[in-house]
Amino acid sequence: MTDDRQNVVDMAGTRVDDDHLLSMYIDSELDAESTIALVNRLRTEPALRSRLTAMEANETLVKTLFARDKHDVPEHLAPLVAAENVTVLGTARHWQRWAGAAVAASFAIAAALFVNVNQTAVFNPMTMDNQLASVLEHSPSRAAGWESLDGDRQFRSVLTFPAADGRWCREFLLAQDESHWRGVACRDGGDWVNQVVGSEVFLEQETHYRPAGAGDSEKVARFIDETATDVALGPQQEAALIGSGW
Amino acid sequence: MANLTAQQRQDLIEELPRLKRFCLSLTSDPADADDLLQITVERLLEKGMPEDAHVAKWSHRVCRNCWIDEIRSRDVRSRYALSESAVEGAGTTSANTDESVQLDRVSAAMERLPPEQRAALVQVAVEGCSYAEAAALLEVPIGTIMSRVARARKALANDLEWNAEREA
Repeated sequence: MTDDRQNVVDMAGTRVDDDHLLSMYIDSELDAESTIALVNRLRTEPALRSRLTAMEANETLVKTLFARDKHDVPEHLAPLVAAENVTVLGTARHWQRWAGAAVAASFAIAAALFVNVNQTAVFNPMTMDNQLASVLEHSPSRAAGWESLDGDRQFRSVLTFPAADGRWCREFLLAQDESHWRGVACRDGGDWVNQVVGSEVFLEQETHYRPAGAGDSEKVARFIDETATDVALGPQQEAALIGSGW
Repeated sequence: MANLTAQQRQDLIEELPRLKRFCLSLTSDPADADDLLQITVERLLEKGMPEDAHVAKWSHRVCRNCWIDEIRSRDVRSRYALSESAVEGAGTTSANTDESVQLDRVSAAMERLPPEQRAALVQVAVEGCSYAEAAALLEVPIGTIMSRVARARKALANDLEWNAEREA
């Protein structure tokens, strides 16, 4: 990046005004000669000194403002970045602010949560741990209700379908606190492997939910459409498949 | 373009807090900042980045482009109306002390800054970047950073001074 500070000043046709000088002085970006000249002026010009004091006070307030207000990273983002074995859905999601007041309220709650991204053991909801693999292996699909997993996670299998390559796959929901995920895992060589995942926002109303935006749901559905060779299994077919050990 | 490497993922995780503040400096609204950060991360994961890319610079560029896309698609008038109502609400909830009153005034004044000035000021004043570092991150000449930061400080000083005089 070229240093064109002098050019900018010259192009304006005038010397840098005092506010520019003071700003550069605050940032320690003035050269030695200009700094000495400005300091000498500050000694003799009360108005200039007063202006510097005001700008420095504002500077402190701006820093305090950013320190005061919570600017935490939503807690599901670090696990999303860390997850290497998943396909991230596209960016067709809607801006939540424009999706309705109820959804905005839900986001406000989520935004208030704190996550320390420097911690070494961040929770990754899509990690295929033994417990998640176990419920995928044994739990029937359901339209309502959740199964509790460790780490305060809630799990629900949504449906089971055959993939074109012969594997069995399951769509599922996973929730922890205000983070909700929809994903598809397929059984590969006896192991469950995540294929696709997307974060969703739900309006919790005791026993039911609905997605805030249709974007992620549509993409999961599209993934299933492209992968499945047949319709989802009915309850009895699924129970037989689970009973047979897949 | 290749997916993110393990190192790029780690670098991106470490960059998230700073990227969040950058989102806020662009949007001047916490909810919009969360959305912008989410969309930025999703785009980075979906599109990847070159192996030799500087994660901070690349992610800031993607973030800025996402915000430009959003601005273009928004209805400016409704956005302005929502922003104004948010400012009014903020002023009535936390004006319990002199400091919180001052901070609310600064917050409102920051919102009134042009986004490019606000972003430059946050990079320099909050993130502690030199002009050269901020220029590299925001992909503008150093003189532009100098000018934007100075104009932002000037606007803040005039805005806060004017408000103080009006209430005196």
